[in-house]
Amino acid sequence: MKLSTKLTLFIAGSKLVIVLLFVLALPFLVKEIASQYANYTLKQQRKKVLSILKENGIDYYLRGEPNYGGYTMLKEEFIAFSPVGPKVIVNTIKNSQVLIEGDTLNYRILSYSFRSKNRNYLMEIGKADASINRYNKPLQRFTLYVLITLIVLTILIDLTFIRIIVKPLANIINTKLINKEFPFRTDHERIKTSTTDFKYLDDSLVLLISQINEAFYKEREFTSNASHELMTPITILQNKMENLLAEESLDESSAIAIVEMMKTVDRLKKITNSLLLISRIENEQYIRKEQIKPLQLFHEIIEEIGHRFEEKNISLVLDISADAVLQDVNKDLMFQLFFNLIHNAIKFNRQDGTISVSGIFLNDGRYQIKVCDSGIGIPTEDVPFIFNRFMKTNLNSQVGYGLGLAIVKSIAVYHRIKITVESGVDKGTTFKLIFKGESA
Amino acid sequence: MKVLIVEDEKTLAYEMEEFLKKSFYQCDLAHSFQSGVMQLELNQYDFVLIDLSLPDGDGLEILKHAKENNPEAVYIIITARTNLKDRVMGLDLGADDYLAKPFYLLELQSRMQAIARRKFNITEDLIAMGKFGVDIQKRLIVFSQQQIELSRKEFDLISYLLLHKGRVLTRVQLSEHIWGTFVNDDYDSNYIDAHIKNIRKKLNAYSETDWLETVRGVGYRIKK
Repeated sequence: MKLSTKLTLFIAGSKLVIVLLFVLALPFLVKEIASQYANYTLKQQRKKVLSILKENGIDYYLRGEPNYGGYTMLKEEFIAFSPVGPKVIVNTIKNSQVLIEGDTLNYRILSYSFRSKNRNYLMEIGKADASINRYNKPLQRFTLYVLITLIVLTILIDLTFIRIIVKPLANIINTKLINKEFPFRTDHERIKTSTTDFKYLDDSLVLLISQINEAFYKEREFTSNASHELMTPITILQNKMENLLAEESLDESSAIAIVEMMKTVDRLKKITNSLLLISRIENEQYIRKEQIKPLQLFHEIIEEIGHRFEEKNISLVLDISADAVLQDVNKDLMFQLFFNLIHNAIKFNRQDGTISVSGIFLNDGRYQIKVCDSGIGIPTEDVPFIFNRFMKTNLNSQVGYGLGLAIVKSIAVYHRIKITVESGVDKGTTFKLIFKGESA
Repeated sequence: MKVLIVEDEKTLAYEMEEFLKKSFYQCDLAHSFQSGVMQLELNQYDFVLIDLSLPDGDGLEILKHAKENNPEAVYIIITARTNLKDRVMGLDLGADDYLAKPFYLLELQSRMQAIARRKFNITEDLIAMGKFGVDIQKRLIVFSQQQIELSRKEFDLISYLLLHKGRVLTRVQLSEHIWGTFVNDDYDSNYIDAHIKNIRKKLNAYSETDWLETVRGVGYRIKK
């Protein structure tokens, strides 16, 4: 999951939890607010009544009667005065039931005792519960809507902001980590960001890339130098043996021994030459400007190693269109690549086996060449390593030194050819090569 | 024929000298740029073999010098530096051939012969090989006016053996000449033997081929 998605999900989740808690608490909160407000109104009313009493005296209400009671039309509020004993002093707000004209209703009642004209009175102001809580429901609903709107709004803001903050990271990933081809490019621009963490990450990556490249170039240079340096001593050995072999006094057993030595030197020479070839390819010393017809190329290869087919009585099926052309390649390297593949296909084939070479255009216009053999195959667990240098697999005899496929790989990489292998023991091996770009 | 070998690796120079002497070449050795230039000013040579990497100068410079004093000679560059740029530069400066280290002396000698034939316009008639005649230039093998069909590789093989008549050629030498520097890693393969067998079969249909000898454990030879 992407970091921005994760952050958004987390933020939305935490907000949701808070909203849920708030929604659960909302009825109690609203009720509490309503009750506080009712108390406040009651006190205000008392204040008002007291000021009226002060101005007009208690008779303003009593009009000669000992008690007074009055209520609004819907019995939502009432006010009552009654005389009480001189010792009674109250100032409370309580909930209680009151009987008014046959209806028993729940009221919040403010009771207050006061003195007027040398007599004690009790004032009761009531407010019906129903009227207190009348706005609770709409209030709750309204609050909920506002809340939801706010949450959605903040989530949108968060999302945009997270995107902006995380964008440099996405840039780093896109430009420096995804689809990298070795050796890495080093001319990357630094990512613009004010986040120090990203800056640090970017700098570290640039540093790492340059270190990897440096190590790679050093290794390449070493291979090249070492191979060159080995050439002269190998020449000397080879030439000494040739001269020895030409001695007329040489007996048969010595001659055979020298021939064996020559074979060994030859092997050393071929390993060195192969390493040198790989390092030259990696150093891009070959020009990729030629046009070749794969059919013609395969004919040339077959002419070169035709005799090897006869040795094992292998039949070859060549299914390549005469019009197919490969652009921007190096002919010698292409020859070497397919030569090595065909050579392997023969070498690891069984008696009376088959090899098929076919070329097709894929739907996206790229050209694909497939080389299949009916040979001994490669154990599945070894398949990922077959292009490694000096890798030998599924061999019961010493038949090579394991550089043929390493050369194939380096030529393929140099020409941006995608190469894949399918194989299994006794199932034969199939190499698929997909040429990049336009080939018509 | 006089040969100048400009090679700073003394052992290698001696081996080259020893080999070429047997084919009656007269060799002078130069182990440095300076002595190479000096020898070229003093003497006339038919062949000049130049190693490009000398301790006190670039072999290509010698080539420039030599061309002034010895324009007629055959120049072969020998080097471990086998990049295209060097090769093109060498050939531009008038080198006749370019031999990459490591090489077989046999190959060196064959190249020298081939260039000499071309340069001095030596046309040979049919070379006799038992009752057969071989025309290396025209790539023909005939038996009493009758042309015999050999494959390209088979002819390469027989003509190489013929050029080094009397010498035993090993399978690695033959295979390198015919297949070049392909990375051919099956050094124990018997494909040379298979080719020889085919050649014998084709030729035996006309006449005896006892002039083509198998030297057990070593290789093949065409009798002198």
